Amino acid sequence: MSYKAQYSPGNTKIAENRRNHMDPDYELKKIREIADEDIVKILGHRNPGEGYKTVHPPLEEMDFELDMMKEMVEPLPGAMQGNRTRYIQFADSMYNAPAQPYDRARTYMWRFRGVDTGTLSGRQVIEIRELDLEKISKTLTETELFDPAKCGIRGATVHGHSLRLDENGLMFDALQRYVYNEETKEISYIKDQVGRPLDEPVNMGEALDDEHLLDITTIYRSDNISMRDDPEALEVVETIHSTRTDGGFGLGVFKDDLKRKIGE
Amino acid sequence: MEPIKAVDIKIFPYRRLKPATTEKILNEIIKLEGILRVLLNGESLPQIVGYGPAKGTRVNHEDRKVIQLKDHDLELSVTVGEIIITILHEKQESFLKNLEDILENNLSCNFEVSAGIFTKTKITVSDYLKIDRGIEQEIEPTYIGLVDPGSKSEETVRLIGD
Repeated sequence: MSYKAQYSPGNTKIAENRRNHMDPDYELKKIREIADEDIVKILGHRNPGEGYKTVHPPLEEMDFELDMMKEMVEPLPGAMQGNRTRYIQFADSMYNAPAQPYDRARTYMWRFRGVDTGTLSGRQVIEIRELDLEKISKTLTETELFDPAKCGIRGATVHGHSLRLDENGLMFDALQRYVYNEETKEISYIKDQVGRPLDEPVNMGEALDDEHLLDITTIYRSDNISMRDDPEALEVVETIHSTRTDGGFGLGVFKDDLKRKIGE
Repeated sequence: MEPIKAVDIKIFPYRRLKPATTEKILNEIIKLEGILRVLLNGESLPQIVGYGPAKGTRVNHEDRKVIQLKDHDLELSVTVGEIIITILHEKQESFLKNLEDILENNLSCNFEVSAGIFTKTKITVSDYLKIDRGIEQEIEPTYIGLVDPGSKSEETVRLIGD
């Protein structure tokens, strides 16, 4: 069976942006440069220059003669070396952040192999072997998926996605991991993702323009493009909702079974 | 104590205010006539990290600053998102007129101003639970709706009177 993946329903700009994020053939636009070492600092899992800690010997040295998986699945570079599993977590503001948790989850699943991702209302975590995590984090922060003002790299104390922005347009962060420089108008991280101070700030560049964000966001909003303006997306959501409700309650399915049990 | 007629005025800016802006507008507002009390609401800012591997580290949030109000020091423990001012009802009209001018001159974002009752006016069951029955004899009536009875008022209330 062959079919063409449709990724996400809808005819609006928002739906188009979602599809672009998810489509592995679409090249995400790179808009900033962040050094590998800086990514390592923000992640805070190891010191820059330090080797990767391992949880098992390299796969080649392990005895897997009887394991069929070895032939069936090609291991990730990190798994091959026996790296630990580590994470990066993002919080995205409802004020037109380029990505949002559900979009991120689907994007991660389409684009990256071997990820474990968790979706919550205000944050999205991605777990993978450390070596691969650093590569993925670079993609996620350097491309149009990330805006330093409206997205935050937050391992703990993530609250802020649904709060008003501050006067400089930054999302609320109780730990203030990143600061706005009023002279250069640039944003830099002064703490790693869990709130430990960094030796020197990591510059993330200027925040994206609000007008531009309206164009690239994947969030339906009544003050930008409302979901009600997108009948196809709405239809799919309604279909999923009604079938899940019917299926969940077993309407029309368990009725006869129940009648039989009570002896009718 | 004689009951008085009072009304709450709520200022709701569309952005969270910087301490400098808060200081500026509060110093202007406090000059107006008829103010009984002012309540600064917002998301609270921790002094130390509460969760995760960095637990116990100092936060040093830029919004948690000491502002000067009529020569009094006032430490902000929240990022200011809402200001509720209780004023004498008879002064409402002139107050609102002056307030609009102050906000328009000092705020860089849009805002909403509304009048009504935005604070608690009576002692409730949760107050009895937190303190004890009979607190109405001990509590200062002007504190009702201003502070949580479980908190220490010396940390959250500043008396800046004439």
